[in-house]
Parts: sequence; C-alpha cells; structure tokens
Amino acid sequence: MSRVAIVGGGIFRGDRFRYENAEEGVAIAFRDLMNDTPELDPQDIEFVMMSYFSDHLNQQLCMGWIIQDYLGLHRKPGYRVESGGSTPLDAIINAYYLIKSGYYDLVLVPGWEWMSEVDTATTNEFIASASDTDWDFTVGGYYNGYYACLETRHMQLYGETIEDLGKIAVKNHNNATHNPYSQWRSEHGTGYITLEDYYKDRIVAWPYRRMNCALISEGACCLLMASEKVAKKYSDTPMWFEGVGLGTDSMRPGDRLVDWAYHGVYPEDEKIYPDTVKKPKTPYPDMANFGSLREGAVTAYKEADIKNPVREIDLAEIFAPYDGVELTLYEDLKFCKRGEGKTMIREGIVERSGELPCQASGGLTSFAHPVGATSLMQSLFLYWQLSGRIPEKFGDSTLQIPDAEKALTTGHGGTGCQGGVIVYSR
Amino acid sequence: MADEKIKVEKDESTPIYKEWEAWARKGNFRVEGYQFIKAPCGPGKIEDAKVGDFMLVNRPHGALFTHSYGLVSKFFRGLIEKTLYGTRCPVCGTTYCPPRMHCWNPTCKVAETEWVELPLKGEVHTFSVMLFSADAFLEMLPFVLAYVQIEGSDTTIPMQVITAPTDIFVGQKVEIKFRDKRMGELMDMYAVPVKGQKIPENSCLNNPDYLKDMERDLQGTYAYLEKRFGMKKEDIEKRWKR
Ligand SMILES: [Zn+2]
Repeated sequence: MSRVAIVGGGIFRGDRFRYENAEEGVAIAFRDLMNDTPELDPQDIEFVMMSYFSDHLNQQLCMGWIIQDYLGLHRKPGYRVESGGSTPLDAIINAYYLIKSGYYDLVLVPGWEWMSEVDTATTNEFIASASDTDWDFTVGGYYNGYYACLETRHMQLYGETIEDLGKIAVKNHNNATHNPYSQWRSEHGTGYITLEDYYKDRIVAWPYRRMNCALISEGACCLLMASEKVAKKYSDTPMWFEGVGLGTDSMRPGDRLVDWAYHGVYPEDEKIYPDTVKKPKTPYPDMANFGSLREGAVTAYKEADIKNPVREIDLAEIFAPYDGVELTLYEDLKFCKRGEGKTMIREGIVERSGELPCQASGGLTSFAHPVGATSLMQSLFLYWQLSGRIPEKFGDSTLQIPDAEKALTTGHGGTGCQGGVIVYSR
Repeated sequence: MADEKIKVEKDESTPIYKEWEAWARKGNFRVEGYQFIKAPCGPGKIEDAKVGDFMLVNRPHGALFTHSYGLVSKFFRGLIEKTLYGTRCPVCGTTYCPPRMHCWNPTCKVAETEWVELPLKGEVHTFSVMLFSADAFLEMLPFVLAYVQIEGSDTTIPMQVITAPTDIFVGQKVEIKFRDKRMGELMDMYAVPVKGQKIPENSCLNNPDYLKDMERDLQGTYAYLEKRFGMKKEDIEKRWKR
C-alpha cells in the first residue's frame, strides 16, 4: 500500500471576527496553498474532503457544497466529515484512508469555522448542543463546565495544582506571541505573560480561567495530501504519515464510572488509582482520563512503531481545548504514567526547549480554534516544522524545533467522546 | 398532536404552541437590521491585514421543538411526580441513573433493563464552580455544577448543588430535592449538601489562595448580573444562605 504525505498547505488566519465570509476565507487559504505549491493545478485534485463542525453557527446546512462550488472544484467527488472537535483530524484521517487504499492520489482537505455570528454565550450554547441535550446540557452545562468537572476529578485523584494549569497557559500563550498567525498575538501583541498575569485572569468555571480555555475563532486552512506516487511533484519536503489511530468513548462523561467497553483493557491504569476517594467499577478512564485518545495512541504508535514517545517524537501539537486536557493527555498519549502529567510541565519537558515540546504553535487557547480548521492549522504548523521552514514562514526562528523529524498531533471531540492521533515524519 | 393513533393523557403543551408561534414568526430569518463597517481583512500574517468594507445584517431565527423522551419517558414523568428512577440490567446488575433502556455492557448484548426506584441521596463525584455560562443559564449564576452518583447507581447524573460556591468538595454527601415548578427536565431536581459535613483537608479546592481568587471573581459575576439583569448580590446569596 502507498505511503501518504502532506505536501502543502495554506492558511486564512484565525481571529475573533473575520469579515470575509467562509467561502472567501477558504479561497484565500487555497490560494495561499497554491502560492506555496506552484506545481499544483487545481484540475489535478481528485477528491475534496471537507471539514467543518457546526451547522447552527451560521444557519447554513450543506456549507460544503458552497465551498466546493466557490473553489471551482464542484465536479470532483467530495463530502464533509463531522465529529465535533475531532472534525478536522478525522477529515485528515479520512483522506489518509482514501489515499492509502489506492482510490485517490491527490486529495484537498479544506477546513473552516465561522463562530462569531451570535454572541459568545450563544456560541457556547450552540456548541453545547454537541453534548447530550436531554441529560447534560439542561442543568447549566456547557463545555467549559463539563471539562472543568473532568479536570476537578483528575486534580482530586492525582494532585496537579492551579499553578500547573497556569504554567501550561503561560507556556502556550508565550509561544503564540512568536506565531504571526495567532489570535493571541492579534489580540494581545508580542509581550510575554507570567504566572502572576495568569492568577489575575478571571475564573470562568473553576478550576479554569479564561486563559485555560480554547478561543472562539473564525478562520480557514487547506491541506494538500498525496500518495507516494505523486508526492514529490508537489513538495520537496513531504510530511509522511507514520501511523494513525482513532478512538471513541461514552457520550456522557458521567457514565464513565461503569465504562464497560474499557473494562480490563488498560489494567495498569486501573491500578494507578488513589485510595482517598471511592473507586468506581471501572477505574479507567473514570471522569479523569481520556480513553478515546489512549485507543488512538495505541493504534497510531503500533503502526508507527513508536515504543517511547518522549524519546522518539520531537514535538506534539495536541488538540487541547482546555489546559487540563493537555496535562491529562500527557498521560493518555503515554508520555508518562497515569497521574504523572503534572511532572511533564513541572520539569519543563513540554516547554519549547524541553525534550518533547507541546503546543509550540500556542494551541487552541492561543493560536486559534476555528474548529473545522484547527487540526489542519496544527498539521500545517508541523509541516513547516519538519521541513525547517518556521523561520521563513514566521519571520522569527524562536519556535523552530531544531532538526525535528517526528511529530504527533491529536483530535478531540465532545468530552473526549471522539479522539484521534497521527504520527508524522519528515 | 394530530396523530389519531395516540391518546393524550395530560396536556401542558397546547397553550405553549400559541405562545411561541408569535416568536417563531418574529424570528423568521428576515433581515431586521444592518451596518456598514470598515474592518481588518485579507490574507497572510496579522501585520499584512488591510482594511476592507463590509456589510453586516441581523437575522433572527427561532423554533419550538417537540421532542419525545422515548422509552425513558418514565424517568422524566417521575421528576414531575417527585420520584427518582433508574434502570438495572438483569444480566450484569449495572444500575443506571441516568437510565438507559438497554444495557451498554458489551457482554449483555443490549439487554433490556428494568426500572428501579432510587433513594433521594447521593455523593458528589466531581464538580465545577460556574462563574460564566451558556446563554440559557446566565440568571442562575453563580452555581455549582456537579456530577452526582445517586445511592445505588453505578453512574453519575449532572445537577446543580445549591451551596456556597466555596463549600463544595468531591465526596460530599447530598440530598436530592425537587423544585416547586417541575416541567420534566433535569432542572426539576437539585442537590443540597447533607448538614454537618467538614470540608476534607485534601479537597482540591481547599486552598486559601484558590478560595481567595474565587471570592474575587464571584464579585465580578455579581457585578455582571446586576448590570445585565438588575440582580442583587444579597438576593443571589439567599439561594444557599437559608
Ligand atoms: Zn448488563
């Protein structure tokens, strides 16, 4: 079977408000891709794999048809992939399956989201309709709240502190000041923040402050994906897929105390459980960890032959809508054992100078989070990283991880209802 | 309901259709207002942005959904009748609250479950103190959102715990109460802490710095509520100072 690569990408910078509409933003990202990939003739594209999350936010069903039409790609086969926050990663993985299986050699993956047509509280409410509207939403739930509950549980079990969450926030925001496509830099400028600034930031849903939470963004990104047969035509520095994996977990996080589908699957994690709290029938994942991401990682690492992620992977762009998710995923992605996520940030392993930099781009809380484009943006960032082009693209070499060869990215939907992992290499 | 095969046993709907019809007609996706603006735009980095001319329009849209609770309707009818139900799998014995009519344990092959009445007692499995919320819940702020394990249930169900936001902890024993006005939704019930419990030393919120910051930001939430809805801090605090 053919190897698969990302051979180009283009971006329409995410920000709180963008006044070009979605099809225009995608077209601008597509043109950015073509400027960067001069060999690309749009007629060569065989399939369009579209990535966008919400129909509610713009009151438009079948937005994908508008996009294909606007790009002049409406004769081509194409469809939309949707799985909450995991939408863009799943779109990439869908395109990977199509190429890997030999159906197509060249696939365009456009992703976008326009999230500011309603006010912030309503945006939150529409997004919260991705949670169970009979059972989770009605009691005042929305994602900040659900994720805060999950982080509280992890905190109570494994003892990370507000300072740990603050350090992750400071790391990601300061990284983003060197990213000229980041929403944080657009809103805040290039000054660094400190833990003191973090402590002054408003609590939204304890233990989360505003800075711990993903941004609301409008923006777009396009990736070009190719088989081994045609990859070199478009890029001298293809970024190859080494392994992919998908996983799912319960719709309602509150049911993960008898998560029978996970029972006995990860016995070592079930054992790492403190005796200071009542132990549920299935101690992993409980409401503390993310089984879907563990499943994704196990599958991806097997395909990529990764034995020791911290040593073998040079940088990671984690889909972490909240900083506690990043900390917890250090564990579920097997960077460390369950309960030891806090040591990854305390020891600086995930800082950009550390052994496994995470969110060098700034991630969802600082780069931007136009949902359908987010993983595309993170993968494009990794494409630039693995080809050493950050200095050229950013006009600043600070974020370039020297000699990066292998990278990891993840997708994450709902409250970890859906997860995915990709390992890339140069 | 125009379906001749169904028989309406209780009807709290018909007046509602009338009330909301006007609202649905008002929110018809017509353009109700517009603006001309100049705003940053264009490709590239932040520094590359140009200024462009745009027109913004305001389009409201609304709808009244009529939704069936399906086979677990009994649970919600139970809320109206002030009784808490769960379901139990006859094969593996798992007890579900929220109920599911079919067991999700893969070894049970989606076996049909049986209804059980549950006690109005539970324990906080995890929580968040909400100082901001989705639009629908702004007037309820600030509130504690908790996942509560009902005694006898193996799962947790989300609800609000009516308590001072700084007093909540994992493992807190609670009693389930019903609101006076009940509509058959989870908001019909809430929890209050069982009296006389001490906040454990090892509670993750039990840290003077955390509590100080919480107090500070609670004031911000009160100020927001006063400005937006004219609500008074003293009245809000009465919810739990009883
Ligand atoms: Zn069963």
